[in-house]
Amino acid sequence: MKKILFAIFVVTLAVGAQAQKIKGSDTMLPLSQKEAETYMKEHKGGSVMVTGGGSGVGIAALIDGTTEIAQASRKIKMDEKLKLQEAGVSYKEVVVAFDALAVVVNPGNKVSQLTREQLEGIFTGKIKNWKDVGGEDMKIVVYSRETSSGTYEFFKEHVMKQKNFAANVLSMPATGAIIQSISQTKGGIGYVGLAYVNKDVKALKISYNQGKTFIGPSMETAKNKSYPIIRPLQYYYNIKFAVKIKPYMDYVLSTTGQKVIEQVGYVPLK
Amino acid sequence: MKNYLRSLLFILLAIASAAKAQDAELTPLDTVTINVQKLNSAMSAIQKLKITGYIQAQYQIADTLGIKSFAGGDFPAASDNRFMVRRGRIKFAYDSKLTKYVVQFDVSEKGLTIKDAYLNISDPFINAFSLTAGVFNRPFGYEIPYSSSQRESPERSRFTQTLFPGERDLGAMLTFQMPKTSPFNFLKIDAGFFNGNGPNSEFDKKKDFIGHIGIAKATKNEKVRYGLGFSYYNGGVYQGRLSTGRAAQTYELKAIGDTVSFAKIIGDSIVGSFHNRSYFGIDAQLTVETPLGFTTLRGEYINGKQPGTSGSSTSPTTTIPNSDTYLRKVRGSYVYFVQSFTGTKIAVVVKYDIYDPNIDISGNQIGLIPKSGITKAATAADIKYNTLGLGIIYAYTPNIKFTGYYDRVKNETSSNLTGYHSDLKDNVWTFRLQYKF
Repeated sequence: MKKILFAIFVVTLAVGAQAQKIKGSDTMLPLSQKEAETYMKEHKGGSVMVTGGGSGVGIAALIDGTTEIAQASRKIKMDEKLKLQEAGVSYKEVVVAFDALAVVVNPGNKVSQLTREQLEGIFTGKIKNWKDVGGEDMKIVVYSRETSSGTYEFFKEHVMKQKNFAANVLSMPATGAIIQSISQTKGGIGYVGLAYVNKDVKALKISYNQGKTFIGPSMETAKNKSYPIIRPLQYYYNIKFAVKIKPYMDYVLSTTGQKVIEQVGYVPLK
Repeated sequence: MKNYLRSLLFILLAIASAAKAQDAELTPLDTVTINVQKLNSAMSAIQKLKITGYIQAQYQIADTLGIKSFAGGDFPAASDNRFMVRRGRIKFAYDSKLTKYVVQFDVSEKGLTIKDAYLNISDPFINAFSLTAGVFNRPFGYEIPYSSSQRESPERSRFTQTLFPGERDLGAMLTFQMPKTSPFNFLKIDAGFFNGNGPNSEFDKKKDFIGHIGIAKATKNEKVRYGLGFSYYNGGVYQGRLSTGRAAQTYELKAIGDTVSFAKIIGDSIVGSFHNRSYFGIDAQLTVETPLGFTTLRGEYINGKQPGTSGSSTSPTTTIPNSDTYLRKVRGSYVYFVQSFTGTKIAVVVKYDIYDPNIDISGNQIGLIPKSGITKAATAADIKYNTLGLGIIYAYTPNIKFTGYYDRVKNETSSNLTGYHSDLKDNVWTFRLQYKF
C-alpha cells in the first residue's frame, strides 16, 4: 500500500514538474479545465495542470514564480503590476473569452427583472424586502463571493459602482455554493457566471438604462453585447515561458479552443 | 461478576473485529482520500505560519580610509573597502485571522539582533481597528516602514537614520483602516506611545507619541497610484547627570554680535526633567505606468526639535543621556525618482537626500570660537549634508536582485572647523546582491 502511495506521489511530482501550470480565478476553472482536457487529447505528451483559488491567488503565484499562467476574471491591479516589476517578471495579458455575470434568484421568486439601481440598493442593504421591487413580502437574503474573488470585484465595480456591500451579506467561498444556497432559499439573490446558471436558479433580466429595456443573460445577448454585465476573462503569463506555453495559448485562441469555450458556457472572442 | 466480565470481553472483541472488518473494506482510493484529508488539515495549520527572509551581501568602496558613513555604517580606520552582510533577516509570522504573532531576527557578522517582536490583534466587529504591541517600526513617514528588501537605495535617508536609529521602538499602537472591501480602505491612521529609545530597554518615565495619517490609492484604470501622509512625533529626552555627578546643562544657539554659538540656558539643569523632542513630517508618493515602464516619485520632508549632545544630533538609544544637552532645530528631506523599463528587469534610481541638523547656523559660523569664552562653538554635529544617490537595479529572478549604487556625499564647509574646510572624501560605491524568499 505504501509503495502504491509512494508511486502516486512520485508520478504526481514528475507530472507537476513538466506540466504547464495555470492558477487563479475560480470562475475560469471550468473553462481552463475543459481547454486543458481537450488540448491534452489532441496534443499527446502535452500536460496542463489547472488549480483555482481566486484571481488574486493566481496573480500572487505569477509574482512568486509558482505558476506560469495566472487566470483572472478581473484586470490586474497597480499593486500587483508593481510587485511583478519588482520581482523581475515580465508578463503579457491575453483575453481568452468573455463572461456574462448573471444575477440569480430562487425559481419560486416572481421577480424576473431588476434595474442596476435596484441591484445596488439590494446589495448595499438599502432594499431589504422583495415587495419593494415588485415581489412578495419576503426578506431578501443576499449572497456574495469572498473578497479575493475577481467576480466579487467586478460586480462591486460595475454593478454597485464601488459602493460597499451590506454587512449582513453572506459571503460564499465558491460559485457552486451560491447556486446551492439560492436554490434552497426562496428570498435569496446572488451573482454567478453564465456558465453556472442551471434549472435550480432563475437568471434575472437587467436594465442599465433606468428600466427602459431589460435584457436577460444568454450566449446570444452576451455575444452581441446587449447584456450589460459582461467582463473579459484573461490569462496573464510570464514571458519567460512564452515558448513553452505557446502551443496551449494558440490552442485556446484557435477556432477549436473557442468552440470549447462556448461549450462550457462562456462567450468566445468572436 | 464473572458474567459481567464475560459480557465486557465479548463486547470488546466485537468492537475490535468490527473495526478490523472496516479496515479491510478500505480501498486504495479510500486510503488516499483519508490521507489527503489529513494532509489538508495539517497544511491549513501550517499555512498560518509564514517564514520569509532575505540576505543582502555587499561589497563597498569608499573614497578614503576610515570614513564616517551612512551607507551601512562607518568604515574601519584602516579600510576603504569591505565585504559585509548588510542585512540577514528571517521573519516568522503566525497569522490566525484576527491575531498575528511576528518575530524577526537579523543575522550578520555583527551578531544576532531582534528586529521585530510584536503581536497584532484586530477587532472582530468591523475589522477596522487593530492593536500592535511590542517592538516594531515607528509609524512615522513612509521610509521607515518601507522594507529594506524593496527599497531601491541601499540605505534609508540620513535624517531617518539619525532621528530614528534602527527604525523600531518599543510600544503599543492603534491602527484604523477599513477592510479591503470598503471604499474607505485607502485611509490609514496609526497612533501609539513608545519608549522613545529604539528597541532597547526603557530608562525614563516619559513615553513618546507617534502618529501617522495617510492615504494610498490607485486610479480606476489602475495606471496611477498615489499616496499622501502626515506624521507627528512628540516626546522627550531625559536630562541626566554627567559621569562626574554634575547635573547636565542645557545649551541652545544664541547670536552674540556676529557670532552664533551655543549658550547655556541658566537654571535649566534639573536632573529628571525632559527636553522636547518633536517632529512634523509630510510624505508623498506617485507611481505612473507608461509605455516606457513605471515612473515613481517619492518624497518626504521633516522638521522639528532635537535635543542632542555637543557632538551628535542622533536620538538617544541604549543608555540614559549622561552629557550636556544641545537643543537644535533639525530639517531633513529626500526625493526618489525610480524608472523601470517595460520588458526588462532593470530599474534606475536617483535619490537626493538632505539633512540639516541645525537650521539656525551655517557655513563659517560653525566652529567659530566665541570671543566671550562663555558660549560654545557649534561642531561637526551641526554640519549639513546633501547626498546624491545614483543606482541601477537588476531583478534577475523573483528571489535575486543586484544593485549597483553610488553615494555622492556633499557636506557643508566651514573655514573655522577643522576637517571641514572642504568637502570630505566620503563618497561610497555599493555593489549588493540580495536573495529574498
